[in-house]
Amino acid sequence: MNPVIEVQGLTKDYGQGRGVFGLTFQVEKGEVFGFLGPNGAGKTTTIRQLMGFVRPTRGGARILGMDCFRQAAAIQAHTGYLPGELSLMDDLTGDGFLRFMARMRGMKDLGAAEELKEFFRLDGRQSLRKMSKGTRQKVGLVCAFMARPELLLLDEPTSGLDPLMQNRFIELLLREKARGATILLSSHMFEELERTCDRVAILRAGHLAAVEPIAALRQTRTKRYRFTFPSSGAAAAFSDAWPGVKAEGSSASVALAGQEKLSRLLALAAGYDVKDMSIDGGSLEDAFLDYYGEEM
Amino acid sequence: MICAPLLQREAKRNLLLLAVFAGILTLYASVILTMYDPELGESLAMMKDAMPQLFAAFGMSDPGATLAEFLANYLYGFLFLALPLVMIILLTNRLLAGYLDRGTMAWLLATPRPRRQIAASQALFLVGSILGAVLYAGGLCALLSAFLYPGELAPLPFLRLNLCLAALLCLLGSLCFLGVCAVSDSRRGLAAGGGVCVVFLLLQMLSQAGEKWEWLRYLTPLTAFDSSSLARGDGSLWPALGLGAAALALYAAGVGAFARRDLSL
Repeated sequence: MNPVIEVQGLTKDYGQGRGVFGLTFQVEKGEVFGFLGPNGAGKTTTIRQLMGFVRPTRGGARILGMDCFRQAAAIQAHTGYLPGELSLMDDLTGDGFLRFMARMRGMKDLGAAEELKEFFRLDGRQSLRKMSKGTRQKVGLVCAFMARPELLLLDEPTSGLDPLMQNRFIELLLREKARGATILLSSHMFEELERTCDRVAILRAGHLAAVEPIAALRQTRTKRYRFTFPSSGAAAAFSDAWPGVKAEGSSASVALAGQEKLSRLLALAAGYDVKDMSIDGGSLEDAFLDYYGEEM
Repeated sequence: MICAPLLQREAKRNLLLLAVFAGILTLYASVILTMYDPELGESLAMMKDAMPQLFAAFGMSDPGATLAEFLANYLYGFLFLALPLVMIILLTNRLLAGYLDRGTMAWLLATPRPRRQIAASQALFLVGSILGAVLYAGGLCALLSAFLYPGELAPLPFLRLNLCLAALLCLLGSLCFLGVCAVSDSRRGLAAGGGVCVVFLLLQMLSQAGEKWEWLRYLTPLTAFDSSSLARGDGSLWPALGLGAAALALYAAGVGAFARRDLSL
């Protein structure tokens, strides 16, 4: 079967090291594919190329077999898009905007839009200008999903959403995946992609560092577990019992990669009088370093 | 090739702007028209004698004998060029530069509408607004003349005057449109396109102000719009055709440039 998205040697050079360079990857039908990378890594630039906003310097991208720049309009008939920098038509209300976009798409039936508004608890009667960032993001999401497209290109889809709505969004994403949609989404947070993606592409300084199944990344991911004890003596005793534990006052922390040792660590900790425990997922930078070790 | 939902949206969104311009045109047209005196208003003549060069700069050197010539001088020589030019620049900003600058163009392109269709629709709206403005201004002058000075306005020369004005304004619109389409920073593109139009207008004013600067008239397409001779009835429509054809070519070039360029959305 042909992949939905085919990117081959895609390069857009904006000079001074900015842009994306030689990206090659494929996204299969029904797959949820994540773009992970810090700000400025090239996530948005790549999505703009897929949308046909910019012409590649070298290489190319195809969606459903069509050229992303030359056949952008035909591709859009099958695609839902959410821009990363959300700028809406402020002269309209939320509903007015959705109706306008539906007409631009040639959609007759707004049933899906109504259902999505309900799902996100969006009141579309307000003017877009007066909406909060999160509410505007919901309008953008409804607009991207309302045509029930085969492919969704979502640039930082959860930005501005509160945790409850972020969960709603993930629920929606999994529902769309079950429906058979192919989804590409970008994020600078590993946790966000972890819950939805099958595979993740890691971008760094415009280069594709790796494309890995999410399970492989999770395996090598280091998390820091911090235990708080009643006294510094207890913390010191705990740190003696497990190699590599760093004790600081009455708390001690240990970094673990993967999950195989976790139950042993917890069993050990259970023998002490643990007052508190926290888990730090580490920054994206840490995740990169974990994954690549000394290579980078 | 035309995007109906977009045209409808623009019509709704720009209604107020167009209405304000219609109001301003109404104001100037009615004030100037009431100043017309078949015996030639003494006050105007006195003013003109007092500062002939200033009057000449604004294309008002020769008040003429007929009502059509009077209108050609006092309205079509400057006011009916400068006021619509302001409207054209504001409209081009709203129709294209604003979408690009603020990034809302991304939404229009995230639909199965080709770029050419989007750009052509906006160009069509611009041209439609220009033709509407000329039709309104010309119609208003004709109506007021029929009411105030029945039988004074010669219909054919006046019609030609308006046709040629429409063609010229379409050309100015196409320059602004092309600027926005072709330059990567769309606001700068509009400044460039609009700037060229303003320079053309200034060159015309300079060339009319004195013999020393008369040669400047060859540097501006506004010269092709010879309002006085059109009003006298001895002007040809060929320049209007030329202006219209040039405008059409520039709109097409703008649409083509828009379809090919990189958009930083």
